[in-house]
Amino acid sequence: MSTSRRVTNLALLVSIGLVLSIIESTFPPLLPVPGAKLGLANIATVVALYAFGPGMAIEVTVLRSILGGLLRGSVVGLFLSFSGGIASTLVMIVIYLLLDRYISIVGVSVAGAVTHNVVQLAAAFLLIQHAALFFYLPYLVLLSVPTGLFVGFASRRVTVSLQGMFPATG
Amino acid sequence: MEQIAKSVPGKIKAGDIVLVLLVIAAAIAGVVLVSRASAGEKGSLAIIEVNGKEVRRLELSDKQGYRTLTVQGTLGPSTVAVEDGKVWMTESACRDKLCVGMGRIDFTGQSIVCLPNRVVIRIIDGAKPGSVDAITE
Repeated sequence: MSTSRRVTNLALLVSIGLVLSIIESTFPPLLPVPGAKLGLANIATVVALYAFGPGMAIEVTVLRSILGGLLRGSVVGLFLSFSGGIASTLVMIVIYLLLDRYISIVGVSVAGAVTHNVVQLAAAFLLIQHAALFFYLPYLVLLSVPTGLFVGFASRRVTVSLQGMFPATG
Repeated sequence: MEQIAKSVPGKIKAGDIVLVLLVIAAAIAGVVLVSRASAGEKGSLAIIEVNGKEVRRLELSDKQGYRTLTVQGTLGPSTVAVEDGKVWMTESACRDKLCVGMGRIDFTGQSIVCLPNRVVIRIIDGAKPGSVDAITE
């Protein structure tokens, strides 16, 4: 894949992720719990991982977190989404590289959602230092199963279409 | 050159199901642990409410021995007993006496409810006033 094509794809994925997170921010909260989100934007990262590889997935996540934080104008939000996003992307990459035979894109997405919620809560704990936060943890983990499945199936759909459009020779 | 995806994302694999089940199991274990941790402390104060309004508070310190207290509910008197840090309902004017059958309670968050007579006993940690409010620093 040529550099210009790669940069274009990266830009497309980052903007898709940003738009998805803006769309999602208009939804009512799933649960009355901080951090309980559908995580639609993670579709961009999962698609990047499966259609273009780990490097692209990290780039998409980093750019998406920074730009998203700037767009929302919240430094705290940037810190939280950055830590959760990077950790979940790393976990997804590890599973993708090592356990690809056993775990599909859907399982990778669930693992990413769980990691995102756990790490984001841990990061929030660093800021707020309130042990009551961990009361939410099991509920967030439970919630990340359906949201991760949703994102996983959506990403699979997109990735299959993308691989039809961009043959593996790239 | 960009790395090409190893596998076309196809069918669900066995590991997906294992992963999802593991996550659900961990979350349920977490829910159980959290609810135990938050309800597992001995309370020091029993609050008795009639019709949603607090009428009496009882210290649950075990120094005072067995004692009872009667409050007037909607249907008639309810008698509450305290001993050894536990509180329970000994008599009630209600018909089904479910509240009497609820046994003795001593943990914060536990409660005995008599719906017909509108009497509620609930236990709080008397050391934390209010028990609902948080302190903002």
